[in-house]
Amino acid sequence: MRRFAVLQLSGCAGCEVALLNADEWVEQYQLVYMPLVVSAYDVPDVEVLMVSGGVQTDEDLYNLRRAVRCAGQVIAVGTCAISGGVSNLGNRDEVRDVFLMQENRRHVPRLLPKCRPIDMAVSVDVYLPGCPPTPRLFMSALGTAPGYQPVRTVCQECGRRKVKEMRPKHLLGFQYGEVLPDVCLINQGYLCVGSSTRGGCGALCTRPGHPCVGCRGPSDALIEKESDAWFSSIRRVFESMTDVSGEEIDQALRSPQLALFLFQFADYAGVDRPARHKEQMI
Amino acid sequence: MTTLTFPLSRIEGHAQVVVEVRAGEVAAAYFQATEIRGFEYLMQGVPAEQMPVLVPRICGVCSTAHHVAAVKALESAYGVTPPLRARRLRELLMLGQLIQNQATSLFLFTMPDRLGLASLFQLAADDVPEQVGANIARSALRVRKAGTDLISLVGGQFIHPIKAVVGGMSSGIGEERAAAVQDEIEQILPLACELVEYYIEVSLAMGERLGTLGDDTPAYYIAATGSSAPNFDGDLLRVMNVDGVECDCFPAAAFHNHLIYQDTDYSYAGQTSYQGQVMRANSLARINMTHTMGTPRADVYLKDFRSAFGCPAHAILLFDLARGIELVYALERAAAILAEPFDTTEVTASYTPRDGDGYGLVEAPRGPLVHHYRIEDGLIRAAEFIIPTVHNMLAIEQALRVAARRYVTPERVDLELERAVGRVVRAFDPCIACATH
Repeated sequence: MRRFAVLQLSGCAGCEVALLNADEWVEQYQLVYMPLVVSAYDVPDVEVLMVSGGVQTDEDLYNLRRAVRCAGQVIAVGTCAISGGVSNLGNRDEVRDVFLMQENRRHVPRLLPKCRPIDMAVSVDVYLPGCPPTPRLFMSALGTAPGYQPVRTVCQECGRRKVKEMRPKHLLGFQYGEVLPDVCLINQGYLCVGSSTRGGCGALCTRPGHPCVGCRGPSDALIEKESDAWFSSIRRVFESMTDVSGEEIDQALRSPQLALFLFQFADYAGVDRPARHKEQMI
Repeated sequence: MTTLTFPLSRIEGHAQVVVEVRAGEVAAAYFQATEIRGFEYLMQGVPAEQMPVLVPRICGVCSTAHHVAAVKALESAYGVTPPLRARRLRELLMLGQLIQNQATSLFLFTMPDRLGLASLFQLAADDVPEQVGANIARSALRVRKAGTDLISLVGGQFIHPIKAVVGGMSSGIGEERAAAVQDEIEQILPLACELVEYYIEVSLAMGERLGTLGDDTPAYYIAATGSSAPNFDGDLLRVMNVDGVECDCFPAAAFHNHLIYQDTDYSYAGQTSYQGQVMRANSLARINMTHTMGTPRADVYLKDFRSAFGCPAHAILLFDLARGIELVYALERAAAILAEPFDTTEVTASYTPRDGDGYGLVEAPRGPLVHHYRIEDGLIRAAEFIIPTVHNMLAIEQALRVAARRYVTPERVDLELERAVGRVVRAFDPCIACATH
């Protein structure tokens, strides 16, 4: 049996919970380290090391550096490990000040000045984005989903119908009004970024009526480009499908809520970490 | 002074236990949360209506509870009442959360303690006692999956659900998928009962071997469920005193007047007390504070539990057994709701956003959870999260002291202490991500 380990850094454990639902690995892999469900002091030698969560404390950094030495392949799992995720919101200056107030605590790991994706510190072989990645994507990453080919964008697997005559003049925000069951969310005035977001999730937000917030990051067409290319691709979609002003879209794209996921734009465009290639993405 | 540090596993999040020993005597025991989520800070300035999608990310294990609490907090601020059908769907969501959580705690977190294993997944790999069956890991995952499938059905996805919205639900559930999940739950119920019975058996055997079921000091209990039968959409927090008498009852908005919160300097999590008294939340609190479960199989288990341990029961390993009763209850109750004639009535009520304070209360698997938002100009000015694990902090440390005194003597430290520390903490099923929100 192949051996794999899951190192949990600062995160919400949602990725681990998703992995537990992908139980197909049980027969093919031996899970030797994952503090959520396995008691073990250290990461032993493994073929595959999955890392979830961002690097937020000195302890995270230490554990990460130590763990990768024992691993054949390193997979960065989830939005936090890949771009800092929700913790990245803590990188706003005013929030960082509040975090620094935690200084007076004793015997707890120290917070680093900035929450960082793991490839700032170690080299990553495969990226598995999503908040969290679906069980199926986990299986795909572990090679236990033969023949599974994710589609390119969320839009392509959503299945909602685009309606030429429905051209909203303004965005609706996030939770206003009744959602029509089969019509494209953009036609209904929702700020949905599924057209440029990496597919593979099964469009499980947009199908029941929640706009895509981009948790899987940029699609293959955009991943090796500057973050501006991602923004302008979303803007172009809205220009062709709606009468919403470019200004309104820009402002909404930079709202704190989308910032949660779009914050990763900054990391995808980052200069001080290795480039991420589409061949490495799941 | 000697300091013993125990890293913890098979709980949600990063934490450790520190026991201080002075001249052969246990001087103190600390439960330290060693991570911080920081959502009270991160959420400042966020548009209020986006909270239901953001706050599940506090914790991937308890995301459903945060999702529903956020929606209820906004509804209380906006003065909107969701239609009955939407409330029923939310109950299903919370039942799915309960099934998933109790199955995880029972089988993945604490079962290995009973079997002397590092992980349930070892069962699939190693030789196991014959009566256990090598499929126990798979069966446990299947029971757990019934809960996550239920959350997916009603909430859109099972880790960070999206379908509860201010005023109701963004859409109902499809009849065909609902029938499939009902079928799955009905099929899984006998398997879950078998697992629970086996769990009770190995737990009691462990108790006998150790000569204790852990700290049984009478404590205060707190829950937001009903008194006659469980209700996971309650509006009131209730408190039971050490004699088993309900002594207080208050709405979420009044929590400041009844519960006392204090920060600690050795952990990223704080502690709450009931007027300075140690209190306990989670499964045992609910079981102590309800007359019946209201479903046939769970009521049989409750009756057996009561005749064996009385009411209120206090020994901490009974938290684990109480989780078994609740797992069976949640499966039965969910199947019963799904078996009702299919209802396609309205799932949303219209509303107008407004500024002000909102309080959302749910009984999460770990106890009463309150979200409090102050909204100004449509943005979150301040967010407060009152977390079940934080209610239990003082009780956890008290139970740790009791366990440490059992295994630390002037002559030596019994190595059983390390396992005991794990068992004590897991009995409370703490969630560190939530506790440090």
